[in-house]
Amino acid sequence: MIEFSNVTFKYNVTLSDGEKEDIYGIRDLNFSIGKGEFVVLTGGSGCGKTTFIRLINGLIPHFYNGELSGEISLDGKSIRDMSIFEISSKVGSVFQNPRSQFFNVNTTDEMAFAAENQRRDPEEINKRIKDIAVSMKIEKLLDRNIFELSGGEKQLVACAGIGVLSPEIIVLDEPSSNLDHHAINRLSEILSAWKSEGKTIIIAEHRLFYLGDLADRMIVMENGSVCNEFKREDLKNLSHEDTVKLGIRTLSLDSVSYDCKPGIGRSSNLIFSDFKFTYKKNRHSIDIPKLDIPEGCVTAIIGHNGAGKSTFARNICGLEKRCRGYIEYLDKRLGYKDRLHNCYMIMQDVNHQLFTESVEDEVMLSMTSDDMSEDDKRERAREILDKLDLSKYYETHPMALSGGQKQRVAIASGIASEKPIIVFDEPTSGLDLFHMEQVADVIKDLIRIGKNVFVITHDYEFILKCCDHIIHLENGTVKDSFNLDDGSICKIKEFMCEMSEVS
Amino acid sequence: MEIGLQSNLSRDLFHLDPRTKLAILITVGIIMMSGKYTGVEYVLRLICVAVPFLLLISIRLFRSAFIYVLLMYSTVLCEGFIIPHTKGMINLMIMIICGVISRFGPGYLCGWYVVKSTSVSEFITAMERMHFPNIITIPMSVMFRYFPTLKEDYSSIHDAMKMREIGKKIKNPFTYIEYILVPVMMSTVRIANDLSAASLSKGLGVNRTRTHICKIGLRFIDYILIISMVVMLVTFYVF
Amino acid sequence: MENKFSIKDLITVGVFTALYFVVTFIVACLGFIPVFMAFMPLIGPIFNGIPLMLYFSKIKHFGMITITSIIIAILMFLTGHPYPIFIFCIGAGLITEFVLRAGKYESIRNCVIGSATFSLWLLGMVIAFFFGFRDAYFASLVDGYGQAYVDKMMSLTPTWMFFAMIVMCLVGGTIGGLFGAKVLKKHFKKAGMA
Repeated sequence: MIEFSNVTFKYNVTLSDGEKEDIYGIRDLNFSIGKGEFVVLTGGSGCGKTTFIRLINGLIPHFYNGELSGEISLDGKSIRDMSIFEISSKVGSVFQNPRSQFFNVNTTDEMAFAAENQRRDPEEINKRIKDIAVSMKIEKLLDRNIFELSGGEKQLVACAGIGVLSPEIIVLDEPSSNLDHHAINRLSEILSAWKSEGKTIIIAEHRLFYLGDLADRMIVMENGSVCNEFKREDLKNLSHEDTVKLGIRTLSLDSVSYDCKPGIGRSSNLIFSDFKFTYKKNRHSIDIPKLDIPEGCVTAIIGHNGAGKSTFARNICGLEKRCRGYIEYLDKRLGYKDRLHNCYMIMQDVNHQLFTESVEDEVMLSMTSDDMSEDDKRERAREILDKLDLSKYYETHPMALSGGQKQRVAIASGIASEKPIIVFDEPTSGLDLFHMEQVADVIKDLIRIGKNVFVITHDYEFILKCCDHIIHLENGTVKDSFNLDDGSICKIKEFMCEMSEVS
Repeated sequence: MEIGLQSNLSRDLFHLDPRTKLAILITVGIIMMSGKYTGVEYVLRLICVAVPFLLLISIRLFRSAFIYVLLMYSTVLCEGFIIPHTKGMINLMIMIICGVISRFGPGYLCGWYVVKSTSVSEFITAMERMHFPNIITIPMSVMFRYFPTLKEDYSSIHDAMKMREIGKKIKNPFTYIEYILVPVMMSTVRIANDLSAASLSKGLGVNRTRTHICKIGLRFIDYILIISMVVMLVTFYVF
Repeated sequence: MENKFSIKDLITVGVFTALYFVVTFIVACLGFIPVFMAFMPLIGPIFNGIPLMLYFSKIKHFGMITITSIIIAILMFLTGHPYPIFIFCIGAGLITEFVLRAGKYESIRNCVIGSATFSLWLLGMVIAFFFGFRDAYFASLVDGYGQAYVDKMMSLTPTWMFFAMIVMCLVGGTIGGLFGAKVLKKHFKKAGMA
């Protein structure tokens, strides 16, 4: 159904100094996908899996600029001879970022959008939307404002749009990046329904645990070529050690090991008192009268969507004036203004917190002290950047860096600000194994230099890699708060399983 | 403050076609901007003042409707009765205040009604029915979709600035503007890119028409209203 | 004519027009403070110069600015501004279009001039107080408000004010354009995004 023969693609990229450069997306690829096959593409960032997807949905060569050689055909017809419109009737796409793939503000309109473009009959579209909503159990998502939905719900709407169009081929580019376990389970149900309808599915993904049972084939890519290919039977025998060797995420969460760390260092506690906060619409509110956290550890904040994780994080950072609560830390009582001064958050979208024209300036911007001279600041900034493996990029514009590098620049500014509490909002969304471990290492280093770290996360592998303490939120209250050790891992697993049951 | 149209609509008492709303907007605008305070035109003004009130009631914005009606009738009565009997500075002050409220108030409130009662899809569908080309309707749909994103981006940039205590450090207002606008603009460029890719892969094309699941159509009440608007305008220009 | 535009162009028009509109709207809110009101044509274009310059850098062919100006005119008309807004918006849009084309859509200098000429659409919002429009407008006011009010308003809006506003638009647009060019070079060129 889909044939690649000798396909090479190079992106034309304009560098900051105005020079043009070609970057390989795919090198000399020969591949074929049969009708009804479920293919998983994986591999580290920049391995070419996204390019692969773009070649199938026609965005290459019809949207992205570059040099394409070789032949790609859908149903025996070359994609060069097809307009993107023609391709779009055959191939449905789900993208990574739920924020930027919508054309409409209303969910029902968005579900109808692709079908409307194909000039389907409105009556028929409406009927299909109703059917799809029932079969996907998303009736309550109809006729809503997309901007009020969570990331997971947005991806469900995107899938529903594809259901309405009902193309033969469906491609997904890292659809789970911004999703929690509950949403991932929903996604995997939808994928399995599509599979049973006989759709051809190609999915590029880092997080593999939800695809193990669905995949007919898994392709591991590196530098634009296929370096490993596994059949359905082989996948079952792939152990955790094997996946680590391949540099990819685990296929089964059960097999993830926890290397128990020495006990938590310092004896004092961070004491949260009276953390109460409600938004106008009464959603995502929190109510935490008292909570003790051991000082000097990495605390993971877990919970369902809407349990108040983000609200809690915002309140820790002092971003909500109306929160009257305080944190007792080293005999100090931190109200919201003090917390603003003592806490630093690495946001999920780090693009929003980088302001200056070079990495070095970015870090220096955080040094508020007036006693330090400009040169001292520069020296200190470089010291921090060296530790974070950014010494090559002093002069680079932060926006010219990769996602992981930007995140480390933000971490560097956090360190430079000398604030003792650092909060991460889903730091591993969309990261491959290597980068996830890199973040985990950086976070462990933060603890070593005396910071307190809070992490909102849905990433089980990541929790086992670096967290010491867990806060489990539910409906805005603390359901559980415990140190992570061999005995308590099961509680997290239980939580993840419970998520599956909810769906 | 919400900018932009509604994403979805709750149950209204009666629902008008966007084209009817346009007719009302134009009529009320013209009459209120240039109507005189005597004879037939004064009567027309009084009718126009009542229009936004009824429209607001129809979409259950009762509080706005009542505040509006109190304000309007007191100014219109002022213009009719108090202004001719006062002199000097007081006269001028009252006139300026009344002038602004009575001339612009109904027009803006009609605009507010349009914003509150029209969904984006209705608006775009109506524009296509009125034969606006794709090169106008596609950018406008993108605008309405981009406003909320812009708001989200701004608020998280604002949070980041607060957290990094940037406001305190920067004295130069230009630098401050730069720090806010640059991340917003970076995100604008990214969104334009991602959204183009997504729309293309969903088959949106410049030279193709599309179907619409959104139903708009002129109903009995629309005809009645459009005819009465025309009658009012004719009366206005004839007399 | 429609063939020239790609979806990418139209979406670029959409997002940048939205950004332009929001910045204008925020500056106009400052305009409720009376002192700022008179200087709106100066302050607005200064703020708007920055996004406008980035927008210009994304434009590669004729027509996009005109679409932006038509959309602004439609939105202004729907929020209660009288019809001359169409003449001014589309006029300013077309002038800017030709200025940019003269610079082959690359010249930074032409973009700065374009930023100045584009801001002239703001005059469409105040035109009711000047020239032929003014006489008709004030004639209609005399009945309702009396001669004293009209005289007062006329003295507040002498014809030279209109020319002063043209100058303010051009100066504001140029300052904004220059500032925008600086930001463009400092951030977007350096980050490889322009």
